[in-house]
Amino acid sequence: MNENPEKTAHFGYKTVAETEKASMVADVFHSVATKYDVMNDLMSFGIHRLWKRQTIASSGVRKGHYVLDLAGGTGDLTAKFSQLVGDTGQVVLGDINSSMLKVGREKLHNLGLVGNIDYVQMNAEALPFPDNSFDLITIAFGLRNVTDQNKALRSMYRILKPGGRLLVLEFSKPEHELLNKAYDFYSFNLLPKMGELVANDGESYKYLAESIRMHPDQETLKTMMNDAGFEQTTYQNLTGGIVALHRGFKY
Amino acid sequence: MLTNFLVAVVERILNTALVLDSTLIAKLKPVTQQRLLIDIRDWQQQFVVVFTGQNLHLYNTKETLYDCMISANIDTLMALQNPAMLTQLIRQDKLDLQGDLNIAQGYSNAFAAMDIDWPEHLSRYIGDVPAQQVWQLITQLKSQGDKTQLKLNNTITHLCQDELAVTIHPIELEQFKQHTRQLKGQVAQLEMRINQLLQSN
Repeated sequence: MNENPEKTAHFGYKTVAETEKASMVADVFHSVATKYDVMNDLMSFGIHRLWKRQTIASSGVRKGHYVLDLAGGTGDLTAKFSQLVGDTGQVVLGDINSSMLKVGREKLHNLGLVGNIDYVQMNAEALPFPDNSFDLITIAFGLRNVTDQNKALRSMYRILKPGGRLLVLEFSKPEHELLNKAYDFYSFNLLPKMGELVANDGESYKYLAESIRMHPDQETLKTMMNDAGFEQTTYQNLTGGIVALHRGFKY
Repeated sequence: MLTNFLVAVVERILNTALVLDSTLIAKLKPVTQQRLLIDIRDWQQQFVVVFTGQNLHLYNTKETLYDCMISANIDTLMALQNPAMLTQLIRQDKLDLQGDLNIAQGYSNAFAAMDIDWPEHLSRYIGDVPAQQVWQLITQLKSQGDKTQLKLNNTITHLCQDELAVTIHPIELEQFKQHTRQLKGQVAQLEMRINQLLQSN
């Protein structure tokens, strides 16, 4: 009998020790950081921009707000939020991966967006902020890479101000079977090849496809958010459910 | 998603206008960071516009946070170009305005006063003289087009008026039908009378 059963987590279709997942995910993103934006445009045919627009439209963000763009990667959302919150607001671009943060910071500096953006390397499961700090937290295409998603959701709940909201933009389960099959074919056959050709890293994009399939579906994630304490939790399917935008409030 | 895409295209056009008319940013300064919510009733869509000091952000949203809100049908919004209509439209419940109206006026005035120096922008690609000539040609064509349209409108108006003069009015037609019915009755009476006279002889 094993006296010290090690906790496990999914890394794509593989089951790995919970302590290893973070570093394995980190390796994936260190590898793709520089080509991340190009690959996003290629893989989604540019539609990821519309998904992110929908996230901003649902954010209710305004002048003076404090925003945390968690797993913010190369800063697409931060760029918009930074302008919308103005000089009196603040945006924190947080990511566990230093390479992604570096690319994000360089991109935003080149866009002339300085002054109200902080860059913080952080783990979503243990967010380094006091309780009730933010008006809005977004996590776009990041939650599925987190080892303990329930813990991360509770951590986000803790640092949200009462009245604040969490937006989770994440790959989900397509609503129609036909779309699901086409999407599977695309994800497992074309995506890794595109990754190989453009980012010279097919394995990372194979992980991407697998991690999407292992991620909770719309209803499960909604329940997880409710369990973490969020209220009025709703979700909106985008592009037939390939992506879903979940929204929950803290009161 | 289609709406989202179209809104993104409009946002891009608006931001291009900001680049082309360098005075527009100064004109929009009074409404910086002010959210204008436009609710188009017949489309059942809401749009929020925010000028952030450098860019215009336009989103299709269901959020109800705003500094100023305009709610109306698309036709009514188009009619808003005439400020004299404002009170009348509100009384008729065709228009609802909430929040600080100066914000709506600020956005409206800025875009109404937009003045893009097209020859200047064009000259960067084809040179000063050709740009001026192209612009003159476009202006002439536009002027010619306006004149032609006016002429066409006048011709159609005349045609309609002439047609109106020869067209029978429905009342006239009804009167004619009534007369015909009376005449028919009278003929029938006469026929009966003649038949009676023939039979008596």
